[in-house]
Amino acid sequence: MIRSHFLNLSIFSILVGVFFAFLTQTGTRERLRVMVILGGSMIVLSLLVAYVMYPFPFR
Amino acid sequence: MTEPVVDQTVPDAAPAALPMGQAWMACGLAWLLPGLGHLYLGRRRRAVVFCMVVTAMFGLGLASDGAATLADPRLPLTYLATADNVATGPIEVLSRRLTYGRLVYRLPYDEADPERLELLGRLRVKVAAATHEYGSTFLLTAGLMNILLILDAWDIATGRKS
Repeated sequence: MIRSHFLNLSIFSILVGVFFAFLTQTGTRERLRVMVILGGSMIVLSLLVAYVMYPFPFR
Repeated sequence: MTEPVVDQTVPDAAPAALPMGQAWMACGLAWLLPGLGHLYLGRRRRAVVFCMVVTAMFGLGLASDGAATLADPRLPLTYLATADNVATGPIEVLSRRLTYGRLVYRLPYDEADPERLELLGRLRVKVAAATHEYGSTFLLTAGLMNILLILDAWDIATGRKS
């Protein structure tokens, strides 16, 4: 059981990135590109949203 | 010597479509085991990757105390989640057995029904786990991925995609 939020998020993003790379692309280079863009953007955007939500709820 | 003339107006040949029976067979196999439909259609590398990714997603869901969803007549959206779980294929039976101890897909409507109370009690044990939300998300995503794989197998078999 993985308790780390970040590790869970990273594994999820990587798996989704790999899945869509192979589903939508045919060449190795294109697949790698989609994998990095999709997986990376999911991780970065999640961190960004987490950072924005950090002050909430106000006390 | 002149260059051969290539007619640019003629599009590339469309991928060959298989007979409908084989297309349905590919979809059925895709449901049976993630990636099996693609293997049947000769997409070996994709089949291996899809099988590994969906199985990993499902396995992580089980390991993280994810619970299979039960269709609750009082909550219509749970029917969608249950269908999504079922779309993962026969391996989904594992998550139901681990969560409820048996194969069950629907909660009884009556709130006082002892079976309903017993099933909710079993679900509460899973929900109490720290990683339950992650686990259930992994399980649902595995189902969604397999739905996409079934549709992809159909597109390949009918010649819409190479």
